Amino acid sequence: MVPLSWYLALSAVLFTIGAAGVIIKRNAIAMFMCIELMLNATNITFVAFSSFFRDVTGQLFVFIVMTVAAAEAAVGLGIIIAIFRNRLSLDVDDASVLKY
Amino acid sequence: MNIYFGLQTATQQFADVNLWLLMPELIVASAGVLVMLVDAFTKRLDQRWLTGGISLIGLVAAAVSCVWLWTSWTGPTEAFFGMIVLDRLRLSFTLVFLVVSALSVLLSMIWVEWERLPAGEFHALLLFATAGMMLMASGGDLVMIFLGLELLSISTYVMAGFRRTDVRSNEASMKYFILGSFSSAFLLYGTALVYGATAMANGTPGTTNIREIAQRLDTALYPPLLFAGAAMLLIGFGFKVATAPFHVWTPDVYEGAPTPVTAFMAAGPKAAGFASFMRVFLFGFPFVVAAGTAQRLHSAWIAVLVVLAVITMTVGNTAAILQSNVKRMLAYSSIAHAGYVLVGLVAAGAASDLGQRNEAIAAVVFYLLVYSIMTLGAFAVVTILARSGDRRTEIEDYNGIGFDSPWLAFAFSVSLLSLLGVPLTAGFMGKVMVFSAALDQGYVGLVVVAVLNTVVSAYYYLRLIVVMFFRERSGAWNAPLVPASMAIALALTVVGIFYLGIFPGRVIEVFQASPSVISRLLGT
Repeated sequence: MVPLSWYLALSAVLFTIGAAGVIIKRNAIAMFMCIELMLNATNITFVAFSSFFRDVTGQLFVFIVMTVAAAEAAVGLGIIIAIFRNRLSLDVDDASVLKY
Repeated sequence: MNIYFGLQTATQQFADVNLWLLMPELIVASAGVLVMLVDAFTKRLDQRWLTGGISLIGLVAAAVSCVWLWTSWTGPTEAFFGMIVLDRLRLSFTLVFLVVSALSVLLSMIWVEWERLPAGEFHALLLFATAGMMLMASGGDLVMIFLGLELLSISTYVMAGFRRTDVRSNEASMKYFILGSFSSAFLLYGTALVYGATAMANGTPGTTNIREIAQRLDTALYPPLLFAGAAMLLIGFGFKVATAPFHVWTPDVYEGAPTPVTAFMAAGPKAAGFASFMRVFLFGFPFVVAAGTAQRLHSAWIAVLVVLAVITMTVGNTAAILQSNVKRMLAYSSIAHAGYVLVGLVAAGAASDLGQRNEAIAAVVFYLLVYSIMTLGAFAVVTILARSGDRRTEIEDYNGIGFDSPWLAFAFSVSLLSLLGVPLTAGFMGKVMVFSAALDQGYVGLVVVAVLNTVVSAYYYLRLIVVMFFRERSGAWNAPLVPASMAIALALTVVGIFYLGIFPGRVIEVFQASPSVISRLLGT
């Protein structure tokens, strides 16, 4: 059996990649995908603990997270489309009307 | 009790359902659904009165049910296996949210017409966001808090981008969305780590229930994970309430979002973030005497929050001085106020005595109530002066309007003076309460920094008042008409600021009181 720590390390690495991606990437869609990566890394942690301790709570939590992520994706893509219609660019560096 | 155990004992008790405990949330959510239906089945013409009216009725009904729960409820104080709890923290915060939401409805009723926006959609989203905030305060489980937070956040992402054809609104919405989901991910990861870390050596699985987390801290199987999880939770809440290293989104989002939405965002979600912040950290990682994991965790998060409070206050106030846009200035002021609230949170967390802790919690709730009222008052005036499309929000636009629109200038000045914390206004009482709670716990240095920051903040609050009354106006100025709903909102905020500033005792007593005392106060 694969030990618990391996799953935790995997999810920590994925979470870090996601967080770094949000900071480094300049395209709104790519940033959004990195956020999804962070959420799914969290899901791995939940499932790993849940399966390791034979407890369903963690897996139920994963379902809730997936539902929430879907709702967030719907709203997020709507926002991204609205911004694309108005300025024909998804580069966040172009989104600089709001600066002092 | 975890759900697995609940399923095993299904024959005795299927589910711990108690809808009475959820009453305020249910009323607000149903009002939101009703508004959506009305929106779908009526013509656009006079919709705003209808949907606004339904929203207000729903909010008042929720407030009544909240008071009823507070005064006459004798049943269990937990439902749905500990997912929903009933305590003072929840009920006092729920009342704050309802006040914020009702004032936001009043602010937005005429504004949606100016902007030619769909009133029904806006009010429905506002009510759903309110339901989310209320769940954040009532959740006794990290799962529930996460769900409430997402309900709130997703509704506010849409509200921030509500002026779809305006580039600034788009941009604010996108920035809020990206950084909001980023912080939610941190919160979620923290939850996952705490869930795993609270497992016990005898094979008992972990828990996300806050009360159980508090009991299991010392027996936690993986203390390092617990620390990491608490840090992640702190980052997540730090983003939501806009404390200093995590505040970068605030000015942009507050400036770009439509002004009534900014007013709501500055008051409601911040208070809701603090409600969950306090629930998780004060009740989940509480003060303990015995040395051990729990004690180390407690002193660690207190130390971090002290540093965050100092940075937040200083960054917020110094950056506010440099702003030329009023909305942006108020955004930095809201960051500074988050710092003052953190001072109270530190005091509540450090209190070893239960009575002192409750006093400090009441002080924080009182501060957030006061802060919400004065911020909404200030943004109400900004909404009226900015007109459609948020065109006039620079400080020069306020030159010399004081004598042409005396009432507006008066209401704005009262809000600003209260934000500054001048005696006789509510802001002063709020600051006194929070700072004295911190002094009781021996945080003299922190309070000195906070008071110095208040002095610094005098510069930018008073500057606006000076600009309004003592500066010549360059162009022509036709005083804006103040519509009835706005006038009511402004009158309520001004009266509220003076009432809470001069007679704060009663509200504070209610926030601290046990149910029996409140019954006596209300004469029932």
